Amino acid sequence: MYDYVIIGAGIIGTCVARELSRYSVKAIVLEKENDVANVQTLANSAIIHSGHNPEPDSLKAKLNIWGNQLYDELEQELDIPLLRSGAYVVAHNEQEEAELEKLYQNALANEVPDVALLSFEEAVKTEPNLARSITKVLTLPTTKVTYPWEVAFACMENAMKNGMEFQKNATVTKIEPKDDFYIITVNNRQTIETKAVINAAGVASDDIAAMIDKTVEFKITPRKGEYFVLDNRMKGFVNHVLYPLPSEAGKGVLLTPQVHGEILVGPNSVYVEDKYRTDVSFEGLNYVKANAGALAENVPFHKIIRSFAGIRATSTYDDFYIQESKEHKGIFHFGGLESPGLSAAPAIAKYLLRDVIHIEKLFPEKPDFDPIRKKKPEFHTFTLDEKRKLIEEYPTYGNIICKCEQITEKEIVDAIHAPLGSNTIKGLKKRTRAGAGLCQGGYCEEKVMKLIARETGVSPLTIAYDATDSALFLEETKVEE
Amino acid sequence: MRRDIIVIGGGAGGLAAALSAKEDKKDVLLIEREDRLGGILNQCIHNGFGLEVFKEEYTGPEYAEIYINKFHDAHIDFLLNTTVISLEKVEDEFILYTSSLAEGIQKYTAKAVVITTGCYERTRGSIIIPGDRPKGVITAGSAQRYLNIDGYMIGKKVFILGSGDIGLIMARRMYLEGAEVLGVAELMPYSNGLTRNIVQCLNDYDIPLFLSHTVTEIKADAENRLSQITIQQVDDHFQPIPGSKKRFDVDTLLLSIGLIPDIVLLDSLPVEYDPLTKSVKINQSCETTIPGLFIAGNSLQVHDLVDNVSKESERAGHHAAEYVSRKKTDGRTIKVLPGENVSYVSPQYIDFSWGNSEIICSLRSKQKIEKAALNVIQDGKTIVRKRLMYVVPAEMETFRLDIEDLDADSDILVSLEVLS
Repeated sequence: MYDYVIIGAGIIGTCVARELSRYSVKAIVLEKENDVANVQTLANSAIIHSGHNPEPDSLKAKLNIWGNQLYDELEQELDIPLLRSGAYVVAHNEQEEAELEKLYQNALANEVPDVALLSFEEAVKTEPNLARSITKVLTLPTTKVTYPWEVAFACMENAMKNGMEFQKNATVTKIEPKDDFYIITVNNRQTIETKAVINAAGVASDDIAAMIDKTVEFKITPRKGEYFVLDNRMKGFVNHVLYPLPSEAGKGVLLTPQVHGEILVGPNSVYVEDKYRTDVSFEGLNYVKANAGALAENVPFHKIIRSFAGIRATSTYDDFYIQESKEHKGIFHFGGLESPGLSAAPAIAKYLLRDVIHIEKLFPEKPDFDPIRKKKPEFHTFTLDEKRKLIEEYPTYGNIICKCEQITEKEIVDAIHAPLGSNTIKGLKKRTRAGAGLCQGGYCEEKVMKLIARETGVSPLTIAYDATDSALFLEETKVEE
Repeated sequence: MRRDIIVIGGGAGGLAAALSAKEDKKDVLLIEREDRLGGILNQCIHNGFGLEVFKEEYTGPEYAEIYINKFHDAHIDFLLNTTVISLEKVEDEFILYTSSLAEGIQKYTAKAVVITTGCYERTRGSIIIPGDRPKGVITAGSAQRYLNIDGYMIGKKVFILGSGDIGLIMARRMYLEGAEVLGVAELMPYSNGLTRNIVQCLNDYDIPLFLSHTVTEIKADAENRLSQITIQQVDDHFQPIPGSKKRFDVDTLLLSIGLIPDIVLLDSLPVEYDPLTKSVKINQSCETTIPGLFIAGNSLQVHDLVDNVSKESERAGHHAAEYVSRKKTDGRTIKVLPGENVSYVSPQYIDFSWGNSEIICSLRSKQKIEKAALNVIQDGKTIVRKRLMYVVPAEMETFRLDIEDLDADSDILVSLEVLS
């Protein structure tokens, strides 16, 4: 019997898992995908917003500001990357300047630190490619950028170190109430008994809620966003997150410097039917292209290395929905954790446990909780002397597998065997960045495939790109008798 | 120990450059990141290589073997499984750091460096292909490596986007391996591959070529595997024409949408880039704007024939050797500029301090021209006029200049005139 089952291992589920692992509970995270952080957490702008945008006194505002601060703590404890870029929201004319003033007042009301209005002349000093049509800028120095997958990995790894269990490829197919516990059916066959359930299923959270509650107070109305990725040789093209003025459709098309040097251009915002379909479109990507020019001069679109789309779990509920079920005690739902969901995630986890569950009344804190997770060395960031020392100890650091990002055999093998390891091409790309560079795996995918085969002792025919049934190959041609 | 010349990359270009530099009695080291020499030739198991250089047809591995044998006979030093991780120039010396499993991180120095690092394939990300993003959409060269080197088929119902040579070669290869190859779509109104490949790889196997067509939708099944693509005809502005949709049920979409010179190693050097070749600018000696740094083969400009890679790299090797021996002289430099109908011309500079009098230039046309005249004009004077039949972007054209005929004071304009 578990005390808690957490459904979903995105940024929310993993943050909750880590917070929960501070307490003496028996708990497990169930993830329907073949990896942690594979849906919303995989495809977003990666921004830790300052908290300038949400309505004052909303849960979104409160948890965004708090979450932004908590990321500094996570950086210390979990060794996650943070790019302290700051952000500019831009205005182009008097009408927009009036809107910008309102946003400034909103930011002040939310007590966002260090906000100020700058003239174009002041802003362009630190952002030389700022579009010349811009007249005024709201500066948001506490805006940061992170690497959302790694935050999720770090939280999950640390939670596991502190006793949390994890099962992937585990789709919840039924939730059945018993007297004072629940039976969760996974993949239509395995059953798990638990006293409480935390529904952190992201875009599927309304479907999960509907498995147990007659009335679900929120419905996910998925909104798709499409992006371009610019090669990390463009690092420095913009130094801040650049936002247009927000609108009904969200925060608009942004330019966002990433922690590894790439620049994201996007997203657009389109309501879609299928919450699992992350296709890209001519219309969407052309819209992104057309709008990026309002932020910066001569956006280097010839340096695009990839386009992608993500789904936002927008909901019919006006704020973050973080509540216990009105029908079933011990069932907790997260609904509509769209932006600023990533920014707020660490605070959302604490808020749930402290203010909704009141966990301190139920379970004692573990005296031996270890909050520290060290990330494996990113070899290419080291000095030559450091590299030499490491290679002396581990010669496979000398073997470069991904040439574009200079990712080594040791890093990939470590990522295969880590507690939260992966045996897929995409899983290893997420963990090591092998294949994330200029040639997009054209060179190294084959080498990564061979490392997976060697390290896990399986035939290359069984190696998957991402989901377990997405094998790279159909058949072998040269079968030796 | 300081080397005279370090050659980076041991494919067709690197082998030829190292051989010619060694022939000129220079101390040469070649560095290759793979576990064997020969580069991409090793996965090109089809024939058609060597007609220009040897007047005989070889397969890729056979062509490579000829050079590899010569290379070993010449006792040239080389490193395998070794990646160059940085390249810089300090005063007159190039400093390279390499990384390998066997040797860890090592430092090498050289008087001159020849870059022959080949090219990489454009991926789906570099162009907009709308639709789902399943696995099964893969570059033709990657599929070629999986099939010819590793022995794995990635799919059995194949469509190909782009009529580059690798795409055409792979159409035939997949067909022969038992796949159903449903067609090739090409955005341009003409093929981007060699005519002989259209004939021998598509026509001979009744594989349709859809010119002025592109993929406008990719669909995945519930398991996120590629299930269907839609192609559409495009108008003169490359916009899809409504009502021209054709759908194909496929499990594989091979991309043959272009090759880009791989010059990542030059990132930290103040080289001058040429957006037209997506590589760097050179003078007639394959020397970049950094003295002593030479570049040739597909890392300089993407060739259609390996024979031309060998020839160009051989010249680069000789020039690098000359650079190591020669006394520094001053000379004027003029520009070679692409004119009407010319998408690029190489070299981009002529440096009069180099002694060689014969200058070999290459260019590509922007469009298909049935009858053309190549005009090389300097200061209003026509230096070269050459008639060309059937000029297409897919086939590189070459011409020669004699430095004696040139004036060191004004730039040169190279254009293709359409003759009726």
